[in-house]
Amino acid sequence: MKTLLVVDDEVGVTEALQDLLSDEGFTVLTARNGKDGLKRIGEKRPDLILLDYMMPVMDGRELLLALQADATHQDIPVILMSAMPRSSIPADCKPAAFLRKPFDIDHLLAEVGRLLTPG
Amino acid sequence: MDRVIERPEDRVPTGVPGLDAVLHGGLLRRGVYMLQGRPGAGKTILANQMSFHHAAQGGRVLYTTLLAETHERLIFNLEPLSFFDTSRIPEQISYLSAFSTLEESGLKGLVEVLRREVRVRKSTLLVVDGLVAVEESAATRKDFKKFIHELQVHVSFIGCTVLLLTSASTEPVGPEHTMVDGVIALDDTRLGRGAERELEVKKFRGSSFLRGGHAFQITRDGIKVLPRLEALLQEPSREDPCKTARVSTGIAQLDKMIGGGLPCASTSVLFGPTGAGKTTFGLHFLNESSKTEPGLLFGFYETPARIFLKARVLGLDLEKKHKQGVFHMLWHPPTERILDGLGNKLLTTVREQGIRRLFIDGVDGFMQSAAHPERISHFLAALTNELRVLGITTVYTSELQDMFVSDVRLPISGVSSLVENILFLRFVELRSRVYRMLSVVKVRDSDYDSSLREYRITSRGIQLADTFESAESVLTGDAKPTGTPRPKRKGLLRKRKP
Repeated sequence: MKTLLVVDDEVGVTEALQDLLSDEGFTVLTARNGKDGLKRIGEKRPDLILLDYMMPVMDGRELLLALQADATHQDIPVILMSAMPRSSIPADCKPAAFLRKPFDIDHLLAEVGRLLTPG
Repeated sequence: MDRVIERPEDRVPTGVPGLDAVLHGGLLRRGVYMLQGRPGAGKTILANQMSFHHAAQGGRVLYTTLLAETHERLIFNLEPLSFFDTSRIPEQISYLSAFSTLEESGLKGLVEVLRREVRVRKSTLLVVDGLVAVEESAATRKDFKKFIHELQVHVSFIGCTVLLLTSASTEPVGPEHTMVDGVIALDDTRLGRGAERELEVKKFRGSSFLRGGHAFQITRDGIKVLPRLEALLQEPSREDPCKTARVSTGIAQLDKMIGGGLPCASTSVLFGPTGAGKTTFGLHFLNESSKTEPGLLFGFYETPARIFLKARVLGLDLEKKHKQGVFHMLWHPPTERILDGLGNKLLTTVREQGIRRLFIDGVDGFMQSAAHPERISHFLAALTNELRVLGITTVYTSELQDMFVSDVRLPISGVSSLVENILFLRFVELRSRVYRMLSVVKVRDSDYDSSLREYRITSRGIQLADTFESAESVLTGDAKPTGTPRPKRKGLLRKRKP
């Protein structure tokens, strides 16, 4: 069973994604901000991270840059989620995929499936 | 390069006539909308009408009831409505009672059921009928808000749009109103001994919309919203063509007086007391209808049969033109009418039939149809501006209450400033006889003959005389002879034996 980490400061979003992704057979971990997310990653390495861009304490960009600088975790695929368009996200943020909120769960599942498929 | 999936800009059309115009295209997908109104306001009909339209477009609907009313009873009441289509049930439209879930498992259980059912059934529209039951079940306002928030977040990921139906009062504004994406209120207002149904979009996040109240009707076909014309046509639908050609009034002498005819795409008003012949002038104007200039009579008082008879007596064969399809009639008997319904019907007919000549017999009829008379000048301004940009030459009639007075009181204020051309029809008494007089007081961008003219209504139609020089103070309605008529004058009065 694959493990996904959802990092979002909005509780409703993390709860909804946890429900929806659990229904699809994933183990879902949640975190409220980037700092909390890093801690979770350290405790249990997820197979994929769903990361919100705008969060308090440590935002999505900071978490993404921290992962890119960490040789042990830089290969974890990250899907960045934001209500802002991709063009407004700094170029040094290089997630495996970007989803503009609000998005359909089917789009998310398609991306998750694509990124978790070997090769 | 990461893979980017941008959010699509999509609407969910309601399919309810007039409502999508009010909403500038429909609801926004993933939005949560509250539909509120007292019992009997039409909420359930509106939600079902939207559901069946959504299904007809390929969508899937989950209609959840939280009321004690059985689905059998609900369906029994919907069956007579033309949009109700049993073939959509249950494949595309599922009715689900969540009353017992709410009773047994509370709000959390209800959210869980809704989330699961929407996902399993791949619903794209969720209706929750009876939100007031949720409100009553919530221990605190915070719990109620949490229910709406959780539902909102869940359905957003599923791409589903939500309608929450509630009979809760509109005032004061509840906290739930701040959470939903839109609020549509239905009301039934008593007006004298009658009533008018009204719809108002009180809030619509992420989109512009037509603000204010809009009348609606419930018929066998469901709900039909009649957007306020002045809101719908805040700006005319196209540029003013500024045409310079002339359009014949159908009366050669009158055309000569106003420089060859009425300016094309202009609006004229014909003021006059009852019996002055206003309709007769209009029939002459419409008798010029042709394939290239189709005509329309939009009337309130005289039936089509009477109009044809009147035209026949004047030697005008409008019946033939009607059969040829170049002359149309819309008649509205003086019963229950809704101002915006009339305006929309008029514009629809004008567009569909490619009308070029329009005669509105009794602009006062609009006034009588207005639930809110203070609207009338805004309504007429919007209508007139739209007709102008559509290139239609329009003639209104407006009845003056007094037959023989010098002090003319216009029945609808502001009409004269809306129109480019004004003609007055008056009765004048002279030597114990009554004469009909015409005068032109305004023609757009044009010189005109401002003299008073006598006219007669004959079996050959209107006969317009030369200048009425033999009388003075005629506009007072109390003309005084000035002496022996001049021999050179060829007016109709000269020919009469006093």
